[in-house]
Amino acid sequence: MPADKGGVFVFAEYGTQAIEAISLQLVGKARQLADELDSYVGVILLGKGIAGSFQKLVEAGADLVFQGDSDSLVPYQAEIYSQILVELVKEYNPEILLVGSTSIGRELAPLVAARLETGLTAHCIDLSINASGILEQRIPAYGGLITIICPRKRPQMATIAEGVFPNPTLNASRSGRIVSLDVPKDFLLRAQTLEIITETAVGVSLDTASIIVAGGAGVGDLDGWNEIVELASVLNAGLGSTRPVVDAGWADFESMIGQSGKMVNPVVYIAAGISGDLQHMVGVIGPRIMIAINNDPKSKIFKQVDYGVVEDCRVLVPALVQALKNR
Amino acid sequence: MIDFTFTEEQELFRKAAREFAETRIALHVPNMEKTDRGWDEVVKELSEAEMFAVTIPEEYGGLGIGYVGRLIALEEIARISVATAMMYQVFGLGIEAFIKSGSEEQKQQYLPKFATGERLPTVAVTEPSGGSDPKGCQTSYTKANGAYILNGRKCFITNSHTADVQVVLAMDCNNPDSFTTFIIEKGMEGFKPTHEEHKVGMRGCNTGEIELKDVVVPAQNIIGGEGKGLKVAMTVIGDVGRGGMVGCALGVQQACLDAAVKFASERVLYGKPISNLQSIQFKIAEMKIDLEAGRLLGYRAAALQDKGERASNEFAVAKYFTTEAAQKAAKMAVDIHGGYGCMDEFPVTRYLRDSFVLGPSAGTSDIMKVIISRWALS
Amino acid sequence: MLSIVVCVKAVPDPKEADKLMIDPITRTLPRLDIPLVFNPLDCHAVEAAIQLKQKYSAHITALSMGPPPAGNILRECLALGADQGILLTDPAFAGADTFATAYTLAAAIKMVEPVDVVFCGMASSDGSTEWVGPQIAALLGYPVVTRVREILDDQGDNWLLKADFDRGYRKIKIKLPAVITVTRNLNQPKALSFSGILKARSKQIKEWNHDTLGMPIEHIGLKGSPTYVTEMTRLESSRAVEMIGGTLREKVECLVKILSDAGVA
Repeated sequence: MPADKGGVFVFAEYGTQAIEAISLQLVGKARQLADELDSYVGVILLGKGIAGSFQKLVEAGADLVFQGDSDSLVPYQAEIYSQILVELVKEYNPEILLVGSTSIGRELAPLVAARLETGLTAHCIDLSINASGILEQRIPAYGGLITIICPRKRPQMATIAEGVFPNPTLNASRSGRIVSLDVPKDFLLRAQTLEIITETAVGVSLDTASIIVAGGAGVGDLDGWNEIVELASVLNAGLGSTRPVVDAGWADFESMIGQSGKMVNPVVYIAAGISGDLQHMVGVIGPRIMIAINNDPKSKIFKQVDYGVVEDCRVLVPALVQALKNR
Repeated sequence: MIDFTFTEEQELFRKAAREFAETRIALHVPNMEKTDRGWDEVVKELSEAEMFAVTIPEEYGGLGIGYVGRLIALEEIARISVATAMMYQVFGLGIEAFIKSGSEEQKQQYLPKFATGERLPTVAVTEPSGGSDPKGCQTSYTKANGAYILNGRKCFITNSHTADVQVVLAMDCNNPDSFTTFIIEKGMEGFKPTHEEHKVGMRGCNTGEIELKDVVVPAQNIIGGEGKGLKVAMTVIGDVGRGGMVGCALGVQQACLDAAVKFASERVLYGKPISNLQSIQFKIAEMKIDLEAGRLLGYRAAALQDKGERASNEFAVAKYFTTEAAQKAAKMAVDIHGGYGCMDEFPVTRYLRDSFVLGPSAGTSDIMKVIISRWALS
Repeated sequence: MLSIVVCVKAVPDPKEADKLMIDPITRTLPRLDIPLVFNPLDCHAVEAAIQLKQKYSAHITALSMGPPPAGNILRECLALGADQGILLTDPAFAGADTFATAYTLAAAIKMVEPVDVVFCGMASSDGSTEWVGPQIAALLGYPVVTRVREILDDQGDNWLLKADFDRGYRKIKIKLPAVITVTRNLNQPKALSFSGILKARSKQIKEWNHDTLGMPIEHIGLKGSPTYVTEMTRLESSRAVEMIGGTLREKVECLVKILSDAGVA
């Protein structure tokens, strides 16, 4: 690969048994960007016992895989990870660095960006290279899309959520190279993750649900929200929410769908009491059927769905629940 | 001349009062409506939120925020529950009797406990023989062995059953032109609240009758001096009583406007929200005009009070205007709701019923006009 | 005595913020008068500081970068129990991205040092990036923990925290001075009280601009921002909506049929 061309780098993550889907999606996208820039894709992977993952990353589009394999890298420690990343970036001077919008990514990316005094864009739903070779980062805002660029500082950094870019087609004929990273051994940590505990999720997972029922501010109050929960239960659907619902304390952040929450792609999506705000709608990717229930006939949600019902959720949802139960 | 804006501090008072009303009072309203009781809970909330300390000077354990602050708090509370606001304002009336007419010992003895809500006072003037005509008061007292013996009945008294202390107006048996106000305490032999009223509106606001049968009252319980009773009572009713009604009425006006705007923006007829129709817009405009005017009248009078001046005439104007406006606003809001305006689930039906009680409280509209004409003709 | 800084932001009222929409013809944001309110998550940051002050003694500085109306937010912090407020206000701060914002806030915190802990809400309701807290930490050279939901041990200068992480949480030890960003689950913010508002009368809000901070213009505001917006477009949707009308029963029946035909009911 051209040595003087800054590469397109991806910070990849290794889950319990495999590379995270988001990481592969980003590598796929990085490949596309690198091709446009006539450059290469570098992937950073840190963890323990990850040597076997190299192959899949290359098949997804990586040219260089920077691997750190060490006990000190499990569990994730912000100070070590950011130190490694900053040093690597200073050595290779990549054009672009993409990070998944995960728990690690959302803490690590800003730390790295600040130390490098470069720009970092959150909630990207689209990336492209413009005529001047600059990365155009598009994010949903103010009822539309805004384009952000970081023309002077490097690398141009962005975080992207899972599901924004498709799973890449793996190309078994691709080849790449591993670069083993030096991992500091006796790093004095001031913030030390002691253990990571998984809590069992209740209900149908939003990531895999074929039907999702989501409620917004229009449900009115906790009683109204409980009707939405009931509807999701009766339909065996995933339960989604919007920011106002989470802010009101009726639902957890985990159920929030949208720009700062989850991206979902069910077959059927029911939006009850949701105004159609872009920050939420951008989280709903390509359902076959979208249905909206809203009290306000002027609501912009009605321009974004297949079926619309003008009605107070608090009246319609219980009636719908009853009718479904009676079948 | 005047700066018509609230200070940043007053805006914070309003924010605190609004949050209090929305988070701590609103949840009690359905129960109060259903049972016509539930006042203990809201009175407790008022105490914990330091509401009773608002007009009490700092040297007596209060916050000394003043009367503009009181009006702000009342407005915000009344918007959510005018029944709660009414009880709050009448406790304030009782507190004012002590602030304006209490001796130093009485202030030291009673005000600090009023400030925390540990004990609360009300004022009892109205009787079956007259409220509009306070001199028609027949509750009377005689003197015996340096003490006073009271007999009589008071009605339509807010906080009749909840108040720990009542400032009662009584006529001198030996001199029907002389009146004295006495501090009557719960537990005094012969004093008891009797009948509880069930009103068409302000449900959950404790209103009732009290009875005094040979109640022995020591001389130190006279407040304001013997023979000065009418002055004591009318002063506080004139300023603080009327001022309190202004707060109650403004809250109802605002609630009616909010409900009307919400309904009109959502209700679709002829393919558009009815807020597009001029007949609806005009009703909303009238409500808005009355609210703007009512606020100016009320806050102007309260500002006078904060300066230490009398404001009973200005409050008479504000009380007349806002309580009449609240009744009009409620009717207009109900009309805008069409058929839904008769249905219990819609708050406007409650505002309509609540608005009826605003008129005769702290002096009827006709009495207000008598006072105002006297002011204009003087 | 603990020295605490709480970073707070005045944001457009989330209940009205969706009125702010890109004009499809001019492709700019119209000037709308949406009232500024306390960023909801910052209330939890302030409450965390107040609770520490009640437990051990502490001096709390509320810090905000914003236009003059943001001073009202600081006044509220004083009424809630903060000891002083600092408003970073300067036309030159305008157009700042998260890096320039963090840079400015960090410069102010350096002037308040020594500091034991900096609390921030996890994210603001407008930009919602979650970046400013960690970036302040990086610029100050403090460690950071994001998304804290519980403080397990706050004695001495080694704290034990529980923070949201993946599909659960992590237990994390942190050495002060540190930056901690908080979630709503950390605490229940107390209501504004009248006596608190009165106590705020004797407290000060300082106003600092870039000169006070000794910052050259190149590092602040738009000039100091590595990123900026180049374009805005309105999104047009591609779905054609079929409105379902009729009585309540008819609407429900129609929906049931749609769901049934789709194979989900």
